[in-house]
Amino acid sequence: MNSATDTPKLSAATSGFVLAAAVTVLFNTALAWAKDAYAPLNDLLKSIAGHHWTTHGLADLFLFVALGLFFTKWESAQRMSAGRLTGVLIAAVAAASLGLVLWFAFV
Amino acid sequence: MNLSTSDVLLLAHAGFGVMGCLAALWVLVEGLNARSGNATRIRTAALLTAVCMAGAWICGGYWYVHFYPPEKALILKGPWPYAHNVFMETKEHLFFVTAILAFLLPIAAREKLDSNAAARKLVVSIAALIVITGLAVEGAGAIINHGAKIALAAQNPKGALP
Repeated sequence: MNSATDTPKLSAATSGFVLAAAVTVLFNTALAWAKDAYAPLNDLLKSIAGHHWTTHGLADLFLFVALGLFFTKWESAQRMSAGRLTGVLIAAVAAASLGLVLWFAFV
Repeated sequence: MNLSTSDVLLLAHAGFGVMGCLAALWVLVEGLNARSGNATRIRTAALLTAVCMAGAWICGGYWYVHFYPPEKALILKGPWPYAHNVFMETKEHLFFVTAILAFLLPIAAREKLDSNAAARKLVVSIAALIVITGLAVEGAGAIINHGAKIALAAQNPKGALP
């Protein structure tokens, strides 16, 4: 590894989709909480694709792709350093995962 | 050997999940030693991770929607209701985190990892997160399976399983 050639830059697509993934995993946990706490939302999701879990997954996938394409063209996302994007993703995954575990274990 | 559609889907789901975790581990190890010579292997393993997690999603999702409800009822009446209330509820949502990360990995692996330390750290981090969350999901699956097993055993204390 040659540190002289190292660069903190990521491509626009990578930056955009990393940010999209961070937002999507947090959305995933928030939606899990919301549909568990509010039955009508669960019923609404069930009515869309036949099962709440199927709709939930499709919503996650759609959000990830849509936000990824949006953030790829969004200059603010591209200005974030690679280290910061990595930190944001790790923090989002940790918070989202812990949020799911604690919710279903204690709420 | 009598294998039902439910058995095949469930085994394929777990198999794809394990393969996805192993492929992510492969990316992690190759990523830590990234150079121009292993760039193609990293991208191939990253794509394999995404494909395996998609397979786990499709097989597990179909099984969960069509075959799990009777098993859920069985678990809830058994000695380990938390196998569903805690572990399945967490697993079915945590899996989406693993899957999204798996779909992100091939995008991030397109960076020039041998000359970009920041991209290398990102790819290694994503791969590590897939391995950690993926193994947690696999472990939860084992607990759910045991919850169903001991619920059946409780219903049939003399060992006459249906």
